[in-house]
Amino acid sequence: MKKNKYLLLLSSAGTLLLLGAAAVDENFLKEWRRIQSQGQSDEGAIPVQLRQVVNEGLGVSDRCVSCHVAMGPGEQSVRGGEVLAPHKPVVHDPAEYGCTVCHGGQGLATEKDDAHGRVHFWPEPMLQESFSYAGCGTCHIALGVPEKTQLQRATLAFERLDCLACHRVDGRGGTVRPDGGGMEGPDLSGASLSGYDRDWYAKHLIKSRTEPAGPWTKTFQPVSEPDLKLLGAYLETRVAAPDLVQAKSVFLSTGCLGCHQVSGVGGDDGPDLSIAGFKDPGQVSFEHVPGSRVMENWLAEHFRAPASVVIGSQMPPAPLAEREIRQLTLFTQSLRRKELRDAFVPRDRVKATKFGEREFASDGATVYGAFCAGCHGMDGLGRRAPGLAAFPSVANPDFLALVSDAFLTESVTRGRPGRRMPGWLREGGLTKDEIDAVVSHLRTIGGTRQEPDPRPARWVTASPDAGERIFESVCSGCHGGQGQGAEGPSLANPVLLETATDTYLTETIGRGRRGTAMPGFHSPSPVYPALTQDDIASVVAHLRSLGGKK
Amino acid sequence: MTPVDAGGPALREFVENLKAVPRRLKETAFRTGPPVTDRTRSTFVFGNVFLHLHSVRTHRWSLRWTTTMGLGIMTFAAFLIALVTGVMLMFYYKPFPDVAYQSMKDIHFVVPTGRLIRNIHRWSANVMVIGVILHMARAFYTAAYRRPREYNWLIGIGLLVTTLGLSFTGYLLPWDQLAYWAITIGANIAQSPREVTDALNITDYFDPGGFQKLLLLGSDQVGAEALIRFYMLHVMILPLVLAALMAVHFWRIRKDGGLVRPPDADERLTKKRAEETYPVFTEAPAKTYHLAAIVRGRTPNVGRGPENTVPSMPHLFYAELGVLMFTLLICVALSLVSDAPLKELANPNVPENPAKAPWYFLGLQEMVSFSAFMGGIAIPAIVLLGLALIPYLDRETKGTGEWFGGPGGWPLVRLSLLFGLAVPVLLEAFAIRFGWLREWFPDIPQLIVTFINPATVLTAIYALYSIWCIRRYESARAGALGLFTCFLCGFLVLTIIGTYFRGPNWEFFWSPADWPQH
Amino acid sequence: MTTSSKPPRSRLDPDPVPRRDWLGLSALWTAGGALLFGMIGMLKLPKAAVLSSPSKKFRVPLPETLAAGEAYVPPGRSVALFKDAEGVYAVSTICTHLGCVVKANPEGFECPCHGSRFLADGTVTKGPAPRALPWLKVSLGGGMATIDEDTVVPPGTKVS
Repeated sequence: MKKNKYLLLLSSAGTLLLLGAAAVDENFLKEWRRIQSQGQSDEGAIPVQLRQVVNEGLGVSDRCVSCHVAMGPGEQSVRGGEVLAPHKPVVHDPAEYGCTVCHGGQGLATEKDDAHGRVHFWPEPMLQESFSYAGCGTCHIALGVPEKTQLQRATLAFERLDCLACHRVDGRGGTVRPDGGGMEGPDLSGASLSGYDRDWYAKHLIKSRTEPAGPWTKTFQPVSEPDLKLLGAYLETRVAAPDLVQAKSVFLSTGCLGCHQVSGVGGDDGPDLSIAGFKDPGQVSFEHVPGSRVMENWLAEHFRAPASVVIGSQMPPAPLAEREIRQLTLFTQSLRRKELRDAFVPRDRVKATKFGEREFASDGATVYGAFCAGCHGMDGLGRRAPGLAAFPSVANPDFLALVSDAFLTESVTRGRPGRRMPGWLREGGLTKDEIDAVVSHLRTIGGTRQEPDPRPARWVTASPDAGERIFESVCSGCHGGQGQGAEGPSLANPVLLETATDTYLTETIGRGRRGTAMPGFHSPSPVYPALTQDDIASVVAHLRSLGGKK
Repeated sequence: MTPVDAGGPALREFVENLKAVPRRLKETAFRTGPPVTDRTRSTFVFGNVFLHLHSVRTHRWSLRWTTTMGLGIMTFAAFLIALVTGVMLMFYYKPFPDVAYQSMKDIHFVVPTGRLIRNIHRWSANVMVIGVILHMARAFYTAAYRRPREYNWLIGIGLLVTTLGLSFTGYLLPWDQLAYWAITIGANIAQSPREVTDALNITDYFDPGGFQKLLLLGSDQVGAEALIRFYMLHVMILPLVLAALMAVHFWRIRKDGGLVRPPDADERLTKKRAEETYPVFTEAPAKTYHLAAIVRGRTPNVGRGPENTVPSMPHLFYAELGVLMFTLLICVALSLVSDAPLKELANPNVPENPAKAPWYFLGLQEMVSFSAFMGGIAIPAIVLLGLALIPYLDRETKGTGEWFGGPGGWPLVRLSLLFGLAVPVLLEAFAIRFGWLREWFPDIPQLIVTFINPATVLTAIYALYSIWCIRRYESARAGALGLFTCFLCGFLVLTIIGTYFRGPNWEFFWSPADWPQH
Repeated sequence: MTTSSKPPRSRLDPDPVPRRDWLGLSALWTAGGALLFGMIGMLKLPKAAVLSSPSKKFRVPLPETLAAGEAYVPPGRSVALFKDAEGVYAVSTICTHLGCVVKANPEGFECPCHGSRFLADGTVTKGPAPRALPWLKVSLGGGMATIDEDTVVPPGTKVS
């Protein structure tokens, strides 16, 4: 019995000790208790307790404010260190919207690693601080942003015209104040969100004429019509999320939608990206990714060298500078669409979901940038990537000089069946107007009109037999033995043969395409002999028969 | 003159009674007074509803640590701990998909003491499973299942199954990836009779597998319906069944004459500690001390001289309370060291790979990897049936109450340990190295694979070994010793392989470090 | 312990437990202490540390056109906001009787549950309500009013 008493005594004492330790840990040692004990409000020390932001509409209960106290509802006055400090002024008050809606992470948690989602079993880690604007994408999917050169020009116009003298944008400018004190011009960081006076220019003009002196007369100068347009475009993109807007404009110049879908729009060659921002770092391989195992690193490395990060990827590497890769990463992280209750759906999203507007600006340049630039290049000069067939140079002047707009429209509309170029006139693709806009954009970047062509569409009458021999010895190296395409484009493609005129084919063979691998056969090259006009005609006849053989 | 004096005798009595309330309250609550004499100790036991399931005196043999190692009480203690902590968890748990997961997060992060209580609940559940298995092994090796305890052995098997059921149903409740996919597998094991009915082409007419799965999940996949069913089973039905079975189990211990002990237990004890024994019935040897004791003729207390019993209060209760606190200590200590797992939210589109059931089912899952029906249903059923039959096939008396008692004894158990461990290891090694029938004959009919696979072969070898034991020692007890030892070894080996050596796609890996990265 | 070497004894005889069983008693008391401590800890569990309802402190945009004496009830909240020449103040719209939400009317408030009536400043005029409707703490800033439903201020406190 003594043994049993000892068992009882020791077990009980041990249990008491352990429970005591657990009680001490729970009631005194929690990190948030230590942090809150340093907090001071106007009325003195703040009560140490679990705090949270609850927003039932968004389905949020974020305990982040247990440490970041001053971001909590009605706690703006709390002081006591960096962690406790209030949020910098943003459009959405974290005390109302919570934290995880924008930043990700685990709002229900009360310990740092868990809350920031840096634990093994939390698939939505917090966005890195420099990628914070990606969080806006949870709700604001449909910001009407143009591709990057337009945005750049607009931004430059705003700076060139010295608007920053009076107006603040994203924390810059607004240094000049009207004489006699008063406020500088309004902060325009969120001009598009809050709305602005569309007649601002007329009013500025009147004011600059009526004011006797001061910045109004010195700083403000009349603005030309094109500059006015640029300023308009600039104001449209001021939604208080400058990083995201820039990132989106980079995305819209990289042609990702040519292969990937976002919100049901785009090609289907690659995976759907609609919620790519929620990709779980635990579910991807970091084997070939340098740096820490965070999604931001994975995405950036994946843009630099897709095939080495994802084995077997057919995606061409993005021809971007490091800064732009970072922006593309930010945009991809912002693809985190969540379903929202009606009261919280933002206007831009309503426009896209209810009224069928694009989730981006829909001018020709932007549509080209978003859908075509990935393969054909932002400059339209085509791309070559190791291991992939060359992507045709569609803005090549030699090409544009020989084809009609109808040919271009038809090519975009129907694509090249069997090749990676899909037909774009379809649900989830482009509209007729957009295709026309793209075609006219091509003419703009190529800078070439179609040469007048008096001949009919079909005039070649030569026999295909001679052409076949020439084709095999000269052309098949790049275009494949049956013209099925290899390194060079497919020629036996039915859509091509149906829409291409004989003039286009003979002249292309004769003149070649400067700047591409296609030589002109009117004159001999070190590798090939020159072909006569008849030779070329017979090759064309052979090409026509390829289409027929199918 | 106070108002009371003026009020007459009735009022005076009323006031007296009022004054006496505390004293009378104590008297009526504790009728027997302090348990300082044998008489008051006895009344202490049978006057208390919670204690009177005990006999008032306990045999000293039963109190030896080596007799039971406290395993039964430890299992019961773990159940009590799980019961109390489980009730606490019910304050916050919400049985609905996704919401359930959030409530687990709440329990983990913001509920006062919630994390500790959840951890204790989880660890006490594990202690209970281990306890029930070890307790069964103890009862087996001391031959405690023999007459008149056969039926209680059966109740014990019922308790084993119910305990596993409780553990399994609790597994789904956190609604994380671990839970979701473990239960998906479990539900498909329930459906596995289809393996046979499909092979016989009779599933359209006779589909017990589909019926079982439908009954379990209330749907064709794990969802809200399954969760509410598992919740109800976990907090309501199974605990009630378990409590009822436990009541019968404990009561039968009493009715079957206390814990098992060898016939010569008294002599052994008396020889060793003669001075601690004292005669109980010296002045009235022909009298029993309790009416219930003459109901059965086996009561040892009639006409016997020296007796080796001690009052249950306090001897037995110190032991029981000691084991209870020891179990609590283990559970609390483990809870502070290791948090109960909670993976990411259940996602029906992303299967866990490997999806592993709770550890005590991993042996089963290992067998299931050969054939869902045989491994998941038939062999477990055979094992349970075999366990249940043991007391009815072993009618011998030699070695009752002795560790490894009976023909063969410890040498046989030792041999069986070696045999029981070697066979599954070799079989698994062979199957992992060389594959099995389907790898050799791709067109082989499913029925053959169902009935001839490492799991069934293992079962057959064990059965043959047991028959060999019976013939070698001319004793059913020897066969049982061999078979039970083999069963424990097989369970151990398969569980270890399933736990530590199986990775994605249930392939063999020497360590989880070798698992391929996605 | 029932250990002794003086037979014969009867089980009916008093056989007292040794008075000074320090080991046994300390074991029992420690066990009791551990169980009690655990029990007390566990009883903390039902008292929720955080509530699932939104914070009692909240900000609302101050309506620009609010006539004196006209109540503005922010959606989803049980607070009536008033603005007059002296400033802004907030009156709780939770009846002090049994917690129903009172309705603003031109005279003040009326409770639909048991018929209590209040003036616009919260004073009870009729019915079972034991106390006036409390005034709540308001602070202004940037066209927004921050109201703290948990902090009661003396009636008549108006901020501007």
